[in-house]
Order: sequence, then C-alpha cells, then structure tokens
Amino acid sequence: MSEGLGLADGAVVVAPILEIRGVAKRFDATQALEDVSLSLHAGEIHALLGENGAGKSTLIKIITGVHQPDSGQILLGGQPVTIRSAAEAQRLGVAAIYQEPLLFPDLNVAENIFISHQDRGAVVGWREMFREADKILAELGMTLDVRKPARGLTLAAQQSVEIAKAISLNVRVLIMDEPTASLSAHEVQELFKLVRDLKRQGVAILFVSHRMEEVFEIADKITVFRDGRLISTRTRLEATPQRAIADMVGREIDLTKARTSCAQKDVVLSVADLGRQGVFEGVSFDLHRGEVLGFAGLIGAGRTDVGLALFGIEPATSGRILLGGKPVTVRTARDGMSLGIAYVSEDRRQLGLVLPMSIFANITLPVLRRYLSRLGLVRTGLERRTADTFRDRLAIRTPSVDLEVAKLSGGNQQKVMLSKWLNTNPSVLILDEPTRGVDVGSKAEVHAIIGQLAAEGIGVIVISSDLPEVLVLSDRVLIMREGRQMAILDRAEANEETVMTAAMGQRSTDSIDGRPS
Amino acid sequence: MNWLKRRVRPEQIRELSLLVLILAAIVFFGSFIDNYYSFRTFNRIASSVAIITVVAVGQTLVVLTRNIDLSVGSIVGFTAYFVGTLIASHNGINPILAVAIAIALGAALGVVNGVIVAWGKVPAVVVTLGTLAIYRGVLVDLSGAKTVTTDSLPQWLIDLPLVNVAPIGSLDIRALFMLALVIVVAFQIGTTYLSFARRFYAIGSNPEAAQLIGLPIKSVVFLAFVICGALSGLAGFMLLARFGNITVEAGRGLELSVVAAVVVGGVNVFGGSGTVTGAMLGAVMIGTLEQSLFRLGISEFWLDAVLGLLILLAVASDAVILQRLRQLWGGAELKLLAKETDSVSSEQSASPP
Ligand SMILES: Nc1ncnc2c1ncn2[C@@H]1O[C@H](COP(=O)(O)OP(=O)(O)OP(=O)(O)O)[C@@H](O)[C@H]1O
Ligand SMILES: [Mg+2]
Repeated sequence: MSEGLGLADGAVVVAPILEIRGVAKRFDATQALEDVSLSLHAGEIHALLGENGAGKSTLIKIITGVHQPDSGQILLGGQPVTIRSAAEAQRLGVAAIYQEPLLFPDLNVAENIFISHQDRGAVVGWREMFREADKILAELGMTLDVRKPARGLTLAAQQSVEIAKAISLNVRVLIMDEPTASLSAHEVQELFKLVRDLKRQGVAILFVSHRMEEVFEIADKITVFRDGRLISTRTRLEATPQRAIADMVGREIDLTKARTSCAQKDVVLSVADLGRQGVFEGVSFDLHRGEVLGFAGLIGAGRTDVGLALFGIEPATSGRILLGGKPVTVRTARDGMSLGIAYVSEDRRQLGLVLPMSIFANITLPVLRRYLSRLGLVRTGLERRTADTFRDRLAIRTPSVDLEVAKLSGGNQQKVMLSKWLNTNPSVLILDEPTRGVDVGSKAEVHAIIGQLAAEGIGVIVISSDLPEVLVLSDRVLIMREGRQMAILDRAEANEETVMTAAMGQRSTDSIDGRPS
Repeated sequence: MNWLKRRVRPEQIRELSLLVLILAAIVFFGSFIDNYYSFRTFNRIASSVAIITVVAVGQTLVVLTRNIDLSVGSIVGFTAYFVGTLIASHNGINPILAVAIAIALGAALGVVNGVIVAWGKVPAVVVTLGTLAIYRGVLVDLSGAKTVTTDSLPQWLIDLPLVNVAPIGSLDIRALFMLALVIVVAFQIGTTYLSFARRFYAIGSNPEAAQLIGLPIKSVVFLAFVICGALSGLAGFMLLARFGNITVEAGRGLELSVVAAVVVGGVNVFGGSGTVTGAMLGAVMIGTLEQSLFRLGISEFWLDAVLGLLILLAVASDAVILQRLRQLWGGAELKLLAKETDSVSSEQSASPP
C-alpha cells in the first residue's frame, strides 16, 4: 500500500477506496446533509470538523448503512454499492465506532469486543476470547476485567471497549465518531499510535473530533461541514485551526484566554478525607463561593467517582462533607439535589437525559414543581419559554423545543443536559465533561456561562479530560491518580506539564504541593 | 468474600438461593403433609416439572429477546390433541415419527407467532394473546369437542411415563423427566457456547446497539418463537404420554406456570439475562408448589393466585436484590497498564523537540 504515501505531496493520484458522491439526507424538517461529496484513500486519515448538528454523524451512519441516503451514491473500490445494514458494511470492509458507546450491559467485556466479528466460527471459545480481549486492551495501554459484564462501565471504559472492538476488526475503512471525547491526553496518544499503525497497513480512516489539537496532530486531510454542506477539504499543510474554525462557524474564536477569577472568601463546600471503598480515598478540598475547581487526571483516576459521591449517586463510605459549614450526609441523588448540589453527568444516555421525551420536558424535569399551575397541572407554555431561553443562550440547534432529545445530534444533547441542571439554580455545580462532544463555538459559550455562574457565587467543580479546558477555566486544579488525590495546584502553578506530571504519579518537580498530609 | 466474588456471578447467587428456597419449601410441606417424603411425591412432582421445564426452556429464549409467548398452553394442548388423535387412529405409527410430528406441529404454530412479531412489528404480548385464543378455538372447532382416550392409544405410549431410565438407589428417574434434563443440558450448553445463540442475549440486552451493529434481530426473534413452539409441541407429546386422556382443555393455563417458572428462575423480563438452568429451577419450584398445594387439597384457583404472587415477588425482588448484589460485586474497573504508563512518560519526556 505504498500509493497512499504519495498522497501527502499530492503527486500521485490513486483511486479512492471509498467515494461519496452528492449524498443528501433529510429528517422531517431538518436537512441534515446536502450534496456532499468526499473521497477516502488507503493509508489516509481524514478528519471531519463541524459544529454540532452539522451532519457529521449522519454522513457516517449513511456510510455504514444505518441510514439510507435520499439521493447520491457510495462507491467502494470504484464500484457503486447500496449498503443496507451495518453488518453488510462490515462484510464490505467498513466498520465504525459511533458517537455514543452502545455496549451490551449483560454481556461480558470480551464478548462485547467480539460480538460483531463474523469470522469466529460457530462455537465460542471463551478462554481464547478472554485472552485476545486482554491483548487488544493491552495494546491500548489498558486493563479491564474482560470477564465482567459491561454493565456500569464508566464512559471512558465504554469508549475504550468500542475502540478495541473497532481496531480488532479487519477492515479497509475505519470510521471513528468522536472516539476521544472522554479520553485524556495520555490515552489519546495510545489510540493515535494504533491509528498510525493501521494507517501504515493501508487502512483508510475517517475521524471526527471537536478537539482541534488532535485533529491537527493526526489528520492528513481535514474536511469542514456547516449546516449539512461540505464547506472545504484541505490537506493538513494547507489548513490552519483558525481557517478551519472560520469555515465551521464563520467567526474567530479564542479558547485559550483564561477566565478572570472571582473566587470569594467563604467556603461553600468542604470535603475531608472522602472515600468510597475500593474506588477512591483521601480526597480533601475546600470549594469557595465563586470558585471553579478543576479535576484533572487520567481515565480511571476516580474523578467521576468523586462527583458521583458528592451528588449521592454512589455515596461515599468514609470522610466528611460540609456544605456551607454544616456537616451533611448525601446518600442518594435526591439528597444531593435537595442540598443544592447539581451534577451534570458525563454519561448523558444513562444518567442524564430521557431520550424519548421532548427537549423542554427534559430541561424542566428536576424542578417540575416550579411549573405547576394552581390546579396541579404542568404549565407547558412556561416550560417552553424556559427551554427557549436556554436554546438561545446555548445555541441548541433544533427546529423546536418540542423535538425528542433522541433526535438531536450528540453535542446538542449535551447542551440540553447542561440547561437542565443550570435551571435548578444550584449552590454547588459539578460538571462532568461539560463540553464532551460540544463544538468549538459552543464550547466558548459554555465556558463563558461557567464563568458567569461562578460570578453569581456558585461553587463550580469541572471534571474534564480535556486538559486545556481545565487550565483555562479553573482557579485551582485538583489532580487525581488511581483513586488518590495527588495535588491541588493554584492557577499560577498549573500548566500542562505540572498537571500531567502529577497525573502520571511522578512527584519530581518542586511545584507540586498542596497534597493533604 | 473476595474469593466468592471472583468465583460466582451475582446471577449464580440468585440461582443458588432459589435452590435453597426449593429445599425450604420441601421441608415446609413435608412437615405437615403425611407421607410427603415418598417416591410417589417425587415422581408426581418430577413428571409435572418435566413438562413445565421443556416449555420454560423455549420461553426463556423468547423472554431473553424481550418478548413473551403466551400461546404456549394452547400449542401444548393443540399438539397433544392432534398427535393423540393421529396415534389413536394409526396405532402402528413409528414412535419417533410421532414425536417428530408433534415437534413439527408446535414449530409451525411458533412460526406464525414469530412471523407476526418479527416482521409484523406487533408487540409479542398482543400477538400471542391472540394466538392463544385462536389456537384453542381452532382446536375446539376441529375436534368437535371429542376426547382422546387412553384405551385408544398403543401400549408403548401408555407405558412411556413409567419407563425408568436411570434408577438411582430406589429413586426412579423416569423417561419424561430425563428427556427434560437432556433438553436443559443441551440448551444450556448451546446458549453458552454457540455464537448464534449468544445473540438471544445481545438482542435483549440492548436492541438499539444490536440494530446498529447489524445483528439480524428479526430472524433471531423469529427463531426464538419457532424453538419455543417446537419445544411446546414436544411438551404436548409428553402431556399425551402422561395423561392418555386428552380433552380440548388440555394445557389450558399452562402459560401461567411457565412464565412463573421462567421469572422465578431469574430470567430478566426485560431481556438479556437469565439461563435455561435457572428456568428449570424455577420449574422445579413451581412444580413442587403445585403438587404440594394439590396434596393439601387447596383449590386450583388459589394455586393460580400463588403463581401470580410468585411472579410479582420475583420481579420485584430482582429489581432490588440483583441490583444490590451487582453493586456489591462491582463492575469491571478500567486500569491503565502501569508498565505502559512509564514507558510512555519516558518517551514523552524524551521527545520534545
Ligand atoms: N434520527 C433523526 N431524526 C431527526 N433528526 C435527526 C436524526 N438524526 C439526526 N438528526 C438531525 O440531523 C442534524 C445533523 O445531525 P448529526 O448527528 O449528523 O450532527 P453532528 O455533525 O454529528 O453533530 P455533533 O457534533 O453534535 O455530533 C441535526 O440537526 C439533528 O438534529
Ligand atoms: Mg455527531
């Protein structure tokens, strides 16, 4: 597959493996794709960029046969094909990781990895399967008990299983829709190593991400979508992040400017030696009014578990929580809510949204009491008005707030979930991966809103695997590793290097202190 | 505790505790029913369990895919009656052929269910509630309300339930019970080791994911109904062998016992988890209760109420207890490989330009 290498300088023209010609797709009132043409060559990594709802996932689902295009053609190896199902796509050598991990909770991890393999014979060799699953995860730099059911895996773990599933298939075209959205820099590097291996073997890769630095690190070609149309395709050498963003949103955005601090003196939440047996331990910090405390760490470091414990979904088994100076017990999510703690989950499908319900019903759900008329009926008009406010504020892309959440694009679902919790007026707001799958423009918007909330005096905890985001937002950064608190760094001390050093468990530099004794 | 957690899954604890409950029930009934601990009791329970078990195995497959087959009682009655009539008029028929006809007849009725559910996209409850009535109605109409009687049947069939295949001490393991055991073992192995059978679990566990990765959902659901029908057909033959006298009422209400067995046996009504072994244990529990309450002279209507209560209890306790157990056991924890971490970090520190 040496032809692929010729592509970088554009001198050699080879037939593409996959070619899309004039594809269009409409969902009711939404024109999701319009006249899109794209080609994908062997040994090429092609990135798709675009705002939330621009049509990236729709294109991918058309390629894998989940949706049928209204018009247009797909050619594989020069032959026009009609792909009716994902299984058929896979037989043709095309596999995908979808934006939302879709595992089988009752099947074990290994079986989840191999379920779509069609070449493993009629009899399941469990031992062999466990061994191979271990091996694939090890290549990703991870271990996971592959005999345990996939039920209750963290999102990062789910995504890792999805990645393992896809790379273990023998394919010509591999499509990855935001595979890195909940991974931290370290795991992303492991993934990229594997992706580069596949590229060397001549696999064509289509890759979606909202993280510019990733796209510009790995992609050979970058295609930008806007409103269902293909705006530009450039080689990486021609493209720049500024140009790409301008193509995406039509304006310049600066995501690197740090927020000005507005932390106040009084402590709103004080946590001492918090732990949950076998999951995390020894977490201690004070959160001030108006402060943004970032949580950094690699996946599996236990950041989400701390958030779940503070909100009461998986309560702590040791330590103390003081809210506004008073000791409190948080045993259930209801406790957390009534104490004025809001937790925006990383896992919008399982813990966040009711997918078949409308946008407005999702947003008002936790505080539905506020929307009751004197007769005890829900005032849907008022609900819609609230939802419309958030729709404007967060730029949720939808024809109407009556639409089912399931029909929104991934990033827009994320915005609905944010709206839902912002609407509860909490005193402590815990945001777990608040911008997972959110496009750059809206990300800036979300950051601005977080700043605004802090300025109103809310204590905010931001858990994020996106380190630049943590650094830009936080007054202080708490770093965890393998269930332990490693350090709390002030804004002045926190930078990519000091945070990563602590997250990887090396306490070499003198700048790392603040570790509770 | 940790050793326990590594060796057994929460679902297996569920099955073990059912075993304990069965023993407790036997001790309980034994304490105030005379002559309870006798071979007669055992044989009675065993032959009623055998029939429930065979149907419950099929029902398990259906329930795993998030469906339900309420027509099993009618299928059992239908095959028992028509195969009975056939044998009565052709006494010389080859026994193997007779069994094959029963299975084929049951499968054919399962095909009807399967086609309408899988391709007609009608909910299984509605479809099979309909066919429950239709199959029974057709049976009543075609039979002219006549009865198959024992004296019209050949001797081999009358003797079949008494055949003792594996005497353990003075305990008889009779042919029908043995047949049920063989079926359970075969399906347990099949659902554990056959790739296509794992799809029953996958489809019930997350239909949306199954759809997205392109599993053939329709054919799998169809297959579940056909197998359930076939096993019900076989159970119809077993019923014929056991009673000899078959009226158009045969097998009526069996679906309640079968669904109870499956649910009590730990098969999740929302699909995706449960085993045929569990369903058999459920059948043993139900069979024991049925026979014991019968011996106590308690009316059949109360028995139905008890079964209903058991179903509710099982579903409710599963929602709570299994959840707790799973939490206690914990899921698979993702860990980064320690060695890898080090090598990468050294690589990273070495690489900056
Ligand atoms: N099943 C569906 N029914 C109705 N509308 C849909 C459906 N799927 C997608 N859409 C709409 O099509 C548009 C494109 O969605 P798509 O998921 O392709 O966006 P995306 O580019 O992947 O966005 P994101 O970055 O948020 O993932 C959106 O406006 C979305 O609401
Ligand atoms: Mg998408």
